Amino acid sequence: MPTISIFKDDFERLLAGNGGPRTPVTVEQLDAWLPLVKGELKGHNPATGEWRIELQDSNRPDLWCCEGIARQVRIKREGRLAPYPFFASKRRPTKRVLVGRGLERVRPYVAACLATGYRVTGEGLAQLIQTQEKLADIYGRKRRTVSIGLYRLASIEFPVHYDLVKPQDVGFAPLGLDTSMTLAEMLLVHPKGLEYGPILAGCDQVPFLRDAVGRPLSFPPIINSREVGEVQVGDEDLFVEVTGSNLTMVMLTLNIFAANLADRGAMIEPVEVVYPHKTERGKAVRTPSAVGRPRAIPLSTIEEALGERLHPADVGRFLKAYGYAVAASKNTLTVKLPPYRDDVMHPVDVVEDVAICRGYGSFTPIMPSQFTVGGLSQLEQVADRLRELMVGMGFQEVISNIMGSRQDMCDAMRLEGTDWAKVVEVANVMSQSYACLRQWILPSLLRVEAASSRAFYPHRIFEAGEVAIPNNASPTGSCTVVRIAALSAHAGANFSEVHSLVDVLMYYIEREYTLEALEHPSFLVGRAGRVLCDGKEIGFIGELHPEVLERWQIGVPVSAFELDVTCLAISG
Amino acid sequence: MANPSLIDSLHPLEIKVLVAMTRDGTRAVPTEELGRLAELEPSQLSMAIEWLLAKSLLRMESESVTPFVSLTEVGERYFDTAAPVERVLSIAREATTHGRRVTIQDLQHIEGLEPTDVSGAVGCLKKEGAILIVQGGCLEATGRPSPTAEAIRSLLREVHGGPRELDAFPEPLRRVIQQHAVRRGNPKEPFRVDERVTRAFVLTAEGQAAAQLLAGQTAPEEVSQLTPELLKDGAWRTKRFRKYTINLPPPRMALGKRHPYREFLDSVKHKLIRMGFQEMRGELVETEFWNMDALFMPQFHPARDIHDVYFVKEPTHARSQASEEAGLQSRVAETHESGGRTGSTGWRYRFDIERSNRLVLRSQGTAVSARTLASNPAIPGKYFSIARCFRYDQVDATHATDFFQIEGIVLGRDINFRTLLGLLHLFAGEVAQAKEIRFLPAYFPFTEPSVELHVRHPRLGWMELGGAGLFRPEVTIPLGVTVPVIAWGLGLDRMAMVALGIHDIRDLFTDDLEKIRTTRGRF
Repeated sequence: MPTISIFKDDFERLLAGNGGPRTPVTVEQLDAWLPLVKGELKGHNPATGEWRIELQDSNRPDLWCCEGIARQVRIKREGRLAPYPFFASKRRPTKRVLVGRGLERVRPYVAACLATGYRVTGEGLAQLIQTQEKLADIYGRKRRTVSIGLYRLASIEFPVHYDLVKPQDVGFAPLGLDTSMTLAEMLLVHPKGLEYGPILAGCDQVPFLRDAVGRPLSFPPIINSREVGEVQVGDEDLFVEVTGSNLTMVMLTLNIFAANLADRGAMIEPVEVVYPHKTERGKAVRTPSAVGRPRAIPLSTIEEALGERLHPADVGRFLKAYGYAVAASKNTLTVKLPPYRDDVMHPVDVVEDVAICRGYGSFTPIMPSQFTVGGLSQLEQVADRLRELMVGMGFQEVISNIMGSRQDMCDAMRLEGTDWAKVVEVANVMSQSYACLRQWILPSLLRVEAASSRAFYPHRIFEAGEVAIPNNASPTGSCTVVRIAALSAHAGANFSEVHSLVDVLMYYIEREYTLEALEHPSFLVGRAGRVLCDGKEIGFIGELHPEVLERWQIGVPVSAFELDVTCLAISG
Repeated sequence: MANPSLIDSLHPLEIKVLVAMTRDGTRAVPTEELGRLAELEPSQLSMAIEWLLAKSLLRMESESVTPFVSLTEVGERYFDTAAPVERVLSIAREATTHGRRVTIQDLQHIEGLEPTDVSGAVGCLKKEGAILIVQGGCLEATGRPSPTAEAIRSLLREVHGGPRELDAFPEPLRRVIQQHAVRRGNPKEPFRVDERVTRAFVLTAEGQAAAQLLAGQTAPEEVSQLTPELLKDGAWRTKRFRKYTINLPPPRMALGKRHPYREFLDSVKHKLIRMGFQEMRGELVETEFWNMDALFMPQFHPARDIHDVYFVKEPTHARSQASEEAGLQSRVAETHESGGRTGSTGWRYRFDIERSNRLVLRSQGTAVSARTLASNPAIPGKYFSIARCFRYDQVDATHATDFFQIEGIVLGRDINFRTLLGLLHLFAGEVAQAKEIRFLPAYFPFTEPSVELHVRHPRLGWMELGGAGLFRPEVTIPLGVTVPVIAWGLGLDRMAMVALGIHDIRDLFTDDLEKIRTTRGRF
């Protein structure tokens, strides 16, 4: 989740509130406050006053900015959220955004407001841009569901129009370029057009924002006009707009921006968005405005989840000190989130906020009291038994990656074109070295042997671990199986040595077995056998084919076995 | 000074050499003579000399290099039959006596004579005037002697008895030897000249003292190894067992041992069993349904991106699920869309069943927990798994393509936030021996409330040991579980790496056998 940069000075000013007395904040204080916002301090630069903070909660985009973190701390210190009057204002806005027909198929929703009286500072602008980017990128899924535009209000005449246009018909000079071009050209040549153009793929008409006299504002979600849409330090009056595919998310994003700008001292003037059809919030929607509804939560739900008897007034106090509006009765709390949040899906989300505001350290841990019996699966027990026997017989255990290359699993084993060469492959390969799952363990052991020619001989190594075997009968097309394989590499390594090992293992897990001659490309002809148990093949043993050794560049004879532990554990 | 314990630790071979050295005063004795005096084989002698030198009882007085001449296999054959020069001369004489013609070509067809031998011998005899080559390439003996043939015969005879010092021969013979000695590019010659190093040794002061002590002892017969025979007939009673120099480094052995990282995982596994956890297992290849949907991770969640998870190439999707699973799937889909029967609003988007069947490499161990929740788990119940998981990450010192995740669940009517903290408290003590702990709010898509457990490890200081929480009802209810459930996970790789003394996560699965053998885990 996002990591953001905030600055000590800016944070202190926001923490003090508008006109409040500013007090210095230490790194230690910040660190103590960060649990309130699920933040982690990743670094700080005392010279510039920069703090880098990672925010964990992907459902709390309001916290991904300096204003949001400072606000959450301020609420906790003051015990409640100082209300933002513009969210609740009943007056009908005088400024309007008119939505044209057909946008419901492309990018249906827009929300907007005016922010006046805040003179944009360098720090403020950097934070506005950072917030715009993080929200559009992560919360807005790379602008697909939400994108944001900021404009200089002075050059805009209302009402603003949000329309569909043919991309080759209109144009303007986009941010970052000097020359005017059509929207179609922007999609082809502008870096943002190339990056975000796919969002509009297949649309013969695209979204376009312009003012009452036809002056272009932007081409959402691609790029702003350079003339109107380039906010600069010193600007005092802004127009903010959010477009997207989900009305609640679009409105919530605008609410966050409105609250942030208000925290910096701006007056927020709402706008009325008028749709040509009815939306889930009506035909005319005032923005910004709260998106959530009050919710009644039984006190018992909170008590059961937290494991403690609680007084409704206490719970109410904690929730208020976290920003909620609360009405408490004897057994029920009616709670409403602040307008910049919309992350309560279930009462358990409120439960966590109670615990966070009270502090996790204030809860006394108690042990679960009910008795349970611990134990290992049958498979793990058999695997552990076999591992113990292998160690007793002088074998060193190894562990390997399960992902590997087809080259190692098949080609180097001389399996090309045989049934043994079937493996589970990945579709999105990052590196050919990790392109499939191993279907057997022997290549993992040869990997160690090939890398260890300078280690003291003899080499006796084994691994017990999972492999994935393609199997059409399985719904997922493959089965995960535990196998054990061992390899002996030294000048006298031969068949009878590994045969003895198999014999010992089978004796101690009390299984009868027989050997049957096996022609397998990885082994010398006449020196390999399949291991049969109750007529079922459960593995093989043999002397490795010299060509396999050559392919792995191994210079000593190698004999090996491999057994299917899953099979032995199930039928055992 | 020679002390009795030094005397006791002497090997019988060493004693023989010490005694032989004193037989004849204190003069320097050459190796060969010493071998005769001590009645030892060359290999035994060189061992004994080396040991005595190491113990400073013997000192090398002089070292000289002497060339020795010996017969090669070819030389032995010439001794038994004749050298080419002898044969060519006698054939030429016989032919001349009987008036027969013999040409160089004829000689080359005689068995045992190589063309090069023939041309060499003919050249040498002609030069010495023992033969003439007349018209038609015929050989004719002159009756004059060949000094070379005679010298070779006498040398073959003399050296046949054993290697001789080269310098013992007069100059003309030495020249013949040099001409007929093997060298690179000329391997088929009768003689070989080797340089032999002759060393002469004298006793050191301690050596003399030890020898004197030895001379005063009538040593019982000493044996180096107790044998079944000695035990059987009781003869061990009359024997003396040579004492060893016990502080020499021992030979190295190749032993059987668990892998150090596996040892660590085994210890965690057994701690969890002790705390009442039952092992659960899962599949490496999972559907997105079990890997994410069942955990209430919305299908648009960033961690479900193509850049975070490995997708299976073939088949791309699981075949139509079993009927029970299909029922589960529609309940989960409904929960994502609108909350279903869970009291939640859901994520409010359109759930894609096709996407749900997409096959991935398991990216989190919680997938195993989800399957356990859906298959009638015990209540109360505690479960754990140590599951191999895969992430689409560039492999480097801190990211592995596949890795183990240790995690599990706890189900019970008494499960709540405080028992969750209690369980984590127990983990902190049992797994990390930590007494100081801290609980911090955390975020996981499938738990609420969520906690991060930070502990002060006795060696590592403050570290994040794991994450946990109460499963959201949106996870448990669609899977048929009605009691609260703790989901927990432990992040132990950093602890393991410190315990194994490694700094690169790839070294947990190293292919370096020497490293695997010599790593000592400090758990």
